[in-house]
Amino acid sequence: MTDPIAPPTELSDQETLAAELVLGLLDGEDLLRARGMLARDPAFAADVARWEEHFAPLLENWDDQAPPPAVWDRIDAATAPTAALPAPVTDLDGLRKSRDRWRMIGGFSVAAAAALAVVIATGPIMQQTSPPVTTAEAPLLAANIPIGDTPLRLALTYVPGRDELSVSSAGLTPDGVHDHELWLIDRQGDLHSLGVIAPGGEARFAVAPDLSDEFGDGTRLVLTREPLGGKPADADAGPVVAEGAFQAI
Amino acid sequence: MSDDDAIQAREALRADIARLANGDRAALESIYRATSAKLFGICLRILGDDREAEDALQEVYVDLWKRADRYDPARASPISWLACMARNRAVDRLRAGGKVRAGAVAEEAASDVADGELPADAKLELDERDAGIRHCLGKLEDRQGSAIQRAFFGGATYVQLAEEDAVPLSTVKSRVHRGLAALKKCIERL
Repeated sequence: MTDPIAPPTELSDQETLAAELVLGLLDGEDLLRARGMLARDPAFAADVARWEEHFAPLLENWDDQAPPPAVWDRIDAATAPTAALPAPVTDLDGLRKSRDRWRMIGGFSVAAAAALAVVIATGPIMQQTSPPVTTAEAPLLAANIPIGDTPLRLALTYVPGRDELSVSSAGLTPDGVHDHELWLIDRQGDLHSLGVIAPGGEARFAVAPDLSDEFGDGTRLVLTREPLGGKPADADAGPVVAEGAFQAI
Repeated sequence: MSDDDAIQAREALRADIARLANGDRAALESIYRATSAKLFGICLRILGDDREAEDALQEVYVDLWKRADRYDPARASPISWLACMARNRAVDRLRAGGKVRAGAVAEEAASDVADGELPADAKLELDERDAGIRHCLGKLEDRQGSAIQRAFFGGATYVQLAEEDAVPLSTVKSRVHRGLAALKKCIERL
């Protein structure tokens, strides 16, 4: 039997893509493109939320199952203030100064951790003022972003306190038509350009000081394909061709 | 649970997520107590393995702790949002383990969906709209509904659906696209 004639579809391409993302049907470049749109296009994000809302009830009529108590213990430990900082209070701002200063302060790490606990316990009020409190061992951040189906990778390293990102794109060759631009996705889902990749070389990107507090463990990065020279000021960003996230090392 | 209780539970959950987004870690335990049995049920049903489901559940709440500020009350009910997070985590684990479940298993996981009957003990905000997706999914042409369900519950991508059904990718895509269009139409008519 053949499929019946298609009824006139009332779904826009964007709505269809949103549903495909929710259902998990996409892979490869389509998936990256959809994720990129989710991160930067509020209308698309609303479509995604609408489909999730449509499908979620399918999940809600299964029997409840109480998880073993050990699961909560593990979550509790993993989210304890000294273990992992939640995104809203991660504060790399204070690290903008030199790392030497942090070596000096290293001796006071217990006090710093205690102060940090206060920040977390007091929540929103303290967040407003963003006190330069952090642990002494603020980690280096690294990301290793595979590029498409190639064995090539973009290697990124960010040293807190230097406002500088080093980018290695060894093996990459220019195609003479496109450049690739690297973006950071902030906690609101907005994209911030970090720079245009120079194929095959090592480069250092200066990081705008007001962006430095968006750099953290898990911060997402995407690479888009752009005309030579990077995204024109009056155009939308090009298709997402690769993505990755920083890991603390 | 009466409607009033359900509304109260939803509002309490919303408030807890807002507290968590503001860095109030105590809210996480409160959310966990209210939702972990529901979300563990989802993980277990999708993964079919206690250990995997426990790991997925842990990821859901750790992720929630980091990303509670992503929740937009204007867009989604809190339990729907959390249920989708649990489903996504579970499906990610299925895929990471190379264990995307074949059609039969995934459809078994979905088996209590299509008939439109809710278990008597269904406790969560099941209003008419909620029953709607089941009704509408049941109305789809079989192969359209099956493809959508295998993706949602079993983590199958287009490529895998095409392999399972031994049809070209374009055929699977057009089936799903037509199914989605019909689904949207049906849901909006309710």
